[in-house]
Amino acid sequence: MNTVSVMQTASAAGRAADASAPVRIAVRDLDFFYGAAQALKGINLDFFDRQVTALIGPSGCGKSTLLRIFNRIYSLYPEQRAEGEVVLDGRNILDPRIDVNELRSRVGMVFQKPTPFPMSIYDNVAFGVRLNERLPRSEVDDRVEAALRRAALWNEVKDKLKASGMGLSGGQQQRLCIARTIAQQPEVILFDEPTSALDPISTGKIEELLEQLRSEFTIVIVTHNMQQAARISQFTAFMYLGEVVEFGPTNQIFMNPGKKQTQDYVTGRFG
Amino acid sequence: MPDHIVSSFDQDLEKLRRTIAEMGGIAEKMLADSITALVRRDASLAQAVIASDQRLDVLQRDLEEFAILTIARRQPLAIDLRETISAIRIASDLERIGDLAKNIGKRALAVGGQFEHQKVVLGVQTMSERVSGQLKDVLDAYTTHDTQTAIGVWERDGATDALYTSLFRELLTYMMEDPRNITFCTHMLFCAKNVERIGDHTTNIAETIHYLVTGQTIAADRPKNDRSTAPADAAS
Repeated sequence: MNTVSVMQTASAAGRAADASAPVRIAVRDLDFFYGAAQALKGINLDFFDRQVTALIGPSGCGKSTLLRIFNRIYSLYPEQRAEGEVVLDGRNILDPRIDVNELRSRVGMVFQKPTPFPMSIYDNVAFGVRLNERLPRSEVDDRVEAALRRAALWNEVKDKLKASGMGLSGGQQQRLCIARTIAQQPEVILFDEPTSALDPISTGKIEELLEQLRSEFTIVIVTHNMQQAARISQFTAFMYLGEVVEFGPTNQIFMNPGKKQTQDYVTGRFG
Repeated sequence: MPDHIVSSFDQDLEKLRRTIAEMGGIAEKMLADSITALVRRDASLAQAVIASDQRLDVLQRDLEEFAILTIARRQPLAIDLRETISAIRIASDLERIGDLAKNIGKRALAVGGQFEHQKVVLGVQTMSERVSGQLKDVLDAYTTHDTQTAIGVWERDGATDALYTSLFRELLTYMMEDPRNITFCTHMLFCAKNVERIGDHTTNIAETIHYLVTGQTIAADRPKNDRSTAPADAAS
């Protein structure tokens, strides 16, 4: 499934999918291999600037694999390789000459399970900033506070910044990880099932946060929760067996999908 | 379409469909019987029509409640969501059809022994036969998810409106001829209007079926041939 058409539709909540937004990430003829096993086949997709794109599909369809390509996490494993092009701001990030540390500061990632470092809340957020930039202490302070505020965590932790990040609740830890990502001022944030380990209230807070972050970042989210994808994203790609079956505005994918396979999946008919 | 992984979801949707089918059957019978009662001045049949409206009301309330429960429990998407919402809409149209047929039944009781102009009654009957056919077609289209039949019903509603307009003019003439006809003719006018409204609800159902199956609303404006409110008619 190579060509993907995109229509513009309005959402009732005024969070319309905007296909006229600039393309932030362009994936072209992308193949991916775990050793000899091909996990992605000829993916072509555009991810639009400051829009939330949800990747949905059954386990093993390749959605997390695709996500892991955008910040080249896969290149930690020598037997994994990607072929094709993933263009971020005019540069193919698969190019071996790309500085992956710089890439990862521009493309942040939040995982399924919260991954706070065993250090203070403050140091968790400052970690990436200190790693990539030489900033005076006061600026790091500002950056940490701003990131914690944008991650909607500041009010809960401002009096215990020196306490361990591990002591926070699951939902708070996840927002701490989001703050750590934001602090590096990335362009793109990848979320790999960010709420699947959280209770409904923490999930609600993360969803609310995603809605706010969208005004500044391009967001790609992998989720198994269909209703979540329908709630928070503007675009949705349905993947199956390493291919993109259908891509379009979220309203279309969940209300009136074009492909039977998509309809069967979103309605829970997939056998 | 393959079954859901959760088979009780299929049973829920099936229950909605079955309830609509039952309501459709009752509404069809109420319309036919109310007109028969009117034509034959059959008081007991008219009473039966009035009584059966209650069953339709109960079914509509039950369906609505069950559909809301289904949304809460299953959080349906795509065709399933459209199916659930469509069931609520169609049930509401069928319930209104029942109310209108019940009103014809009441009028059949009320007009007994008054001025009778068989031609007028036959005019209402002709209209209702047409609308009954439309209602039958639209209920079949619902069962089979047949958008072509639904569109056909939708397109033919204009002819019902035209029949109503001509009946309206005819009744006005009788009323002007002799004021003693007014009570009877007013009842007939309401009966004709009720049948015309039933046609409109049938057309609503056709639109809902189109949305249910395709996910798109019918783009064009509904054909309208009811000229009874046009200035020339009002003045005449």
